[in-house]
Amino acid sequence: MVKAVVGEESRLKLIEDRLSQASVPSQVGLVIGKLSKSLDKGFVFDLIPTPLNDAGEPASSLIESGKDDGNKKKGSKSKPQSDSSALVIDRDWVSEHARQVSRMLLGGMKVIGVYIWVNESSFKNSTITLCQTVKGVCDAVPFMDTDMDERLLIHISYSPRRWTCRNCSLASNITSSSLRPCDFKMGKVLSSLKEFRCTYNFDMRLPVFSENGSSIRKMSEVLRRGLSTHAKELKGAKCLINGRLGIEDEQYAPDGLHEVEFLLPFMHDKSLEVYRQTEVVGVLVFHGSVCSFAYLNPKEPMSQALNEIKEDIIMSLQSRLEILCDEADRDSESIIDEDQEAGRHLSMGKQIPQLDLQLQREFSNLSFPRRVFIPWLAGTYICDYILPSETIEVLKDHCVELMSMEAPEDDSAILGLESEALYVTSASKSFWDIAASQLSSESKPDGLISKKSKKERSPGTSQLAKLGDLSIVAAFFVLIFSVVVGLALFVFRSQ
Amino acid sequence: MDTDIQNSNIRILCRKLVLPKLHDQSAEIPQIRWLIGSPFFPSPTIIATIRCINSADFSKESDDIRILLPKGFEVIGALIVKNDPNFENSVGEAVDAAVRLRKLLYGDAGGGFSEKDQMLVGGVVDLNNAGDVQFFTFKTGNVKKIEKISSILYEEQPEKYVWERGCLLQCELQIKFPVYYPPKNPKEVEKMYIRATEVVVSNLVDLKTTYIMEANGPSAGEQPVVLSGTDLELHKEMSSTTSQESKVKTFACSDLCLKAGKAISYTSIEEYADIIHVSILSNRSKRSLKPAAPIAEYYPAVEDAKVLVVDHKLEVLCYAAKDLSLAAAVSKLIIPALVDQILSMRNKILSHLLTEHPQLQPYHFVPPGFFIPITIFYELSYGEMEMKQVETRKTLHIRFGLPLDRPLLRVVNAINLSVKDNKTTGSALRKGSSLLKDVHLGIPSSGVSGGTVSLIQGSYEYYHYLLDGFDDSGWGCAYRSLQAIVSWFRLQHYSGIDVPSHREIQQTLVEIGDKDPSFIGSREWIGAIELSFVLDKLLGVSCKVINVRSGAELPEKCRELALHFDTQGTPVMIGGGVLAYTLLGVDYNEVSGDCAFLILDPHYTGTDDLKRIVSGGWCGWKKAIDSKGKHFFLHDKFYNLLLPQRPNTV
Repeated sequence: MVKAVVGEESRLKLIEDRLSQASVPSQVGLVIGKLSKSLDKGFVFDLIPTPLNDAGEPASSLIESGKDDGNKKKGSKSKPQSDSSALVIDRDWVSEHARQVSRMLLGGMKVIGVYIWVNESSFKNSTITLCQTVKGVCDAVPFMDTDMDERLLIHISYSPRRWTCRNCSLASNITSSSLRPCDFKMGKVLSSLKEFRCTYNFDMRLPVFSENGSSIRKMSEVLRRGLSTHAKELKGAKCLINGRLGIEDEQYAPDGLHEVEFLLPFMHDKSLEVYRQTEVVGVLVFHGSVCSFAYLNPKEPMSQALNEIKEDIIMSLQSRLEILCDEADRDSESIIDEDQEAGRHLSMGKQIPQLDLQLQREFSNLSFPRRVFIPWLAGTYICDYILPSETIEVLKDHCVELMSMEAPEDDSAILGLESEALYVTSASKSFWDIAASQLSSESKPDGLISKKSKKERSPGTSQLAKLGDLSIVAAFFVLIFSVVVGLALFVFRSQ
Repeated sequence: MDTDIQNSNIRILCRKLVLPKLHDQSAEIPQIRWLIGSPFFPSPTIIATIRCINSADFSKESDDIRILLPKGFEVIGALIVKNDPNFENSVGEAVDAAVRLRKLLYGDAGGGFSEKDQMLVGGVVDLNNAGDVQFFTFKTGNVKKIEKISSILYEEQPEKYVWERGCLLQCELQIKFPVYYPPKNPKEVEKMYIRATEVVVSNLVDLKTTYIMEANGPSAGEQPVVLSGTDLELHKEMSSTTSQESKVKTFACSDLCLKAGKAISYTSIEEYADIIHVSILSNRSKRSLKPAAPIAEYYPAVEDAKVLVVDHKLEVLCYAAKDLSLAAAVSKLIIPALVDQILSMRNKILSHLLTEHPQLQPYHFVPPGFFIPITIFYELSYGEMEMKQVETRKTLHIRFGLPLDRPLLRVVNAINLSVKDNKTTGSALRKGSSLLKDVHLGIPSSGVSGGTVSLIQGSYEYYHYLLDGFDDSGWGCAYRSLQAIVSWFRLQHYSGIDVPSHREIQQTLVEIGDKDPSFIGSREWIGAIELSFVLDKLLGVSCKVINVRSGAELPEKCRELALHFDTQGTPVMIGGGVLAYTLLGVDYNEVSGDCAFLILDPHYTGTDDLKRIVSGGWCGWKKAIDSKGKHFFLHDKFYNLLLPQRPNTV
């Protein structure tokens, strides 16, 4: 149970000023920070207001009780007090906001609750609504590794002006006793965070079994299952921190950026545990890299940082898969009226996550969006995902809309650590080529990997490859030539 | 053939060269024995000899030796044992055998550490000539020029010699990979499996592959050393040495050797030798390319396809000189050893990949007379006692010159070097050692003048009344005697089962129908016959029973008992009308008929204090009639002697 919460002074003061100037009767938004189980402490990095919903209305509003006789809840409870008014919150919208925002957060930063800017009496009248909002957020973005079932509810009251923080326990049914006050103070949180960075390469070979009536048929489902197995494997991974083996009892990391490398069992595919001699209809190769960051409070043990970075890697892959599935859903909704057959062909690219692999008889591929890092507060980063078809403008929109921050003016401040997806293997390869190659593809030197986009695929392939070969041959000849010239010179001089 | 006699000498580390005894039926003459040395020792040094058991098929022999012998030890020559006075002939055979086998084992280059013109050793034993061994050396460059060795140096403390200079590297690797194949053409599975193993081999030297080396034991204060692919000597052209890497490269095995001669006497290899554990992992964060966003590619099978999951458990041991760099130890010992093991495993299971699921697994042993480990693959899907396995073990016993009636190479005999398991066996050992072992050692002599002492062979534990806080005083003596006998079979590695409790003994008797269920938990006595039932049921051991009507007849059975101890060597239970004892030996003078019995008395109720036990006579020599004229065996009571027969198996 978190007992004390520290908020980042520089941010919260700014937010308080902004709120008082805006003179809105209420505002709801997300609390970004970290709940540390080991320290029993919460850290608040920032508060982000939930944007207007699709109808263009704010996510929270006050309804004067006097005008609101029809409201059942109010009717039973309220006494005729002039200043009492009920708070109405678009809970689904806040949850959706949390879902979107959490995709943009890196390791060690999470949506840890909800804040509300409202007067004291309305707050008191609406605790149940607020708790439900908190629960909605919690359900939308559950913590992956801990069983912490509590979130924060921060109330900024305008008359009198003060901050209070409550711990909202979500273990049981929500009652008025779910809320417990906790100690809240302002301080410096962000500047002392420690930064961990990791590049994680993976290459999963997911066999697709021929199972009639199997529930797992779609590509997205196969990928999701593969990811969850992989998450377990990663959980037990050993790691190197700055090139040294991470020792359990080493408590605290020194200052500076820490490079994390993960070591996994050598050729020991955990997902293969369960079957022997099974029929397969194909193999799904899922490979690439994830660039990851995690932030750690200096008082937390180093093992926590490793957990955060592992979670970030898996979350990043899951988020990307979700984004692709969302796209596919949106796409299929838009074509619902059109001729089914024509529509299928038109939007083949976006429909790939929904492909039924049991029936699929042709090679197909699905490029995941790449992750980019956007400078956020005090030297930290947040991230966003860019599909091959999108530009950096999308990302700026996300920053403004979801994170309510200024879009970075200078594009060069954005870290694009990941390049676009690479086709390690080409469409010309057959199932048997892949089946025989095991996990070896990753280690091939640069020259053999040709980067292609979908457009370039069919006719250009062989030419590209040949070009690559040619340049190697050319380089080789240049090398031989220079050696010969050097030798000749040497002989010439020594004579 | 030139024969030079020079003042060269040879160092021999095996206590005695294990030579076949003439009466040994298995000793075929002539035979070849391989001389084992190490590239880390001054040549010529012989560490051990191993008998050649495929003299007709050297390619099979080399396959066996390759797996058997840890890397870091090697065949440095051959010894010919025969009944042929023609020395020259035998020399030629020894040279030929050594050169041929080495070529198969190490190729023309001669292995990772050997020089091009390696000095090899030959030896000749002429059994007609009192079994004298004559050694000579020759160089691979010129096998005609042999040099006789004039003096043989026997090392006093061979264990010390070997384990002070070097350490043991242990690497366990479990790999699991899918093998896809078209069910229409099952032959294809072999091809795919071969390709898969090739991928494993090539991945071992991949830049991403990381080797973590740590000192043995939980108390290890030393930091593990992490070697990445670039640190190994395999990628000389690629290694861009930064200061960090070059530092890693300078680590030698001695940096992870903690014992450094702390152990005074050799007890077991696990206790004595410095052990470095090597684990192999795959670094998922090596930045070879600019990281690329993920992509999923689906390759549908155009025809029917099946997948088979192959799971191999590899474990290699290697011997490395302490001044060898860790990088060299990995690239020249560990990796080649793993490759050998993978390929050997592949050859063994290739043909029945689909029909059976062979569970081949490597085990390591230090057979009696050896102080270096050897590695053996066992296929245990049908258990250890399956005929094929027994045959395999028998051949191995012959190879190592071990007796054919003792199990010495069963799984329970294997040494266990892995870190995790070390703790559990450690605690088991402590639990075992809480019981007194071999209490008869150091007791006063029997006082039989001119007698011949025949004793049990091997160790046992002393089980007596009230042990482990279980009150069986007055009724449990036969149970305790049985426990001591089971402990003997256990310690002799005939069985891995725990010594049964009183209750378990009673349960066994009920199970076989000898007793009613009410017997369980009772305080009823059992006798020699019940013991034989339990031994048969739990251990598969059969027993011989000797009955005497009176205690006075017992001395007459001394000759038979002496024979039992000489041939079987198992503890004997004395039961019958009165008390139960365990008999550990007899001292018998055939001429005078004077005799004494070495009795282990289970009726002792005190603490495990060896002094008290011996001074109280709870373990000691008993004469049938002592100096005071008192009879140890009662004349008016009958006695049953239970003589467990040692299983004649390996």
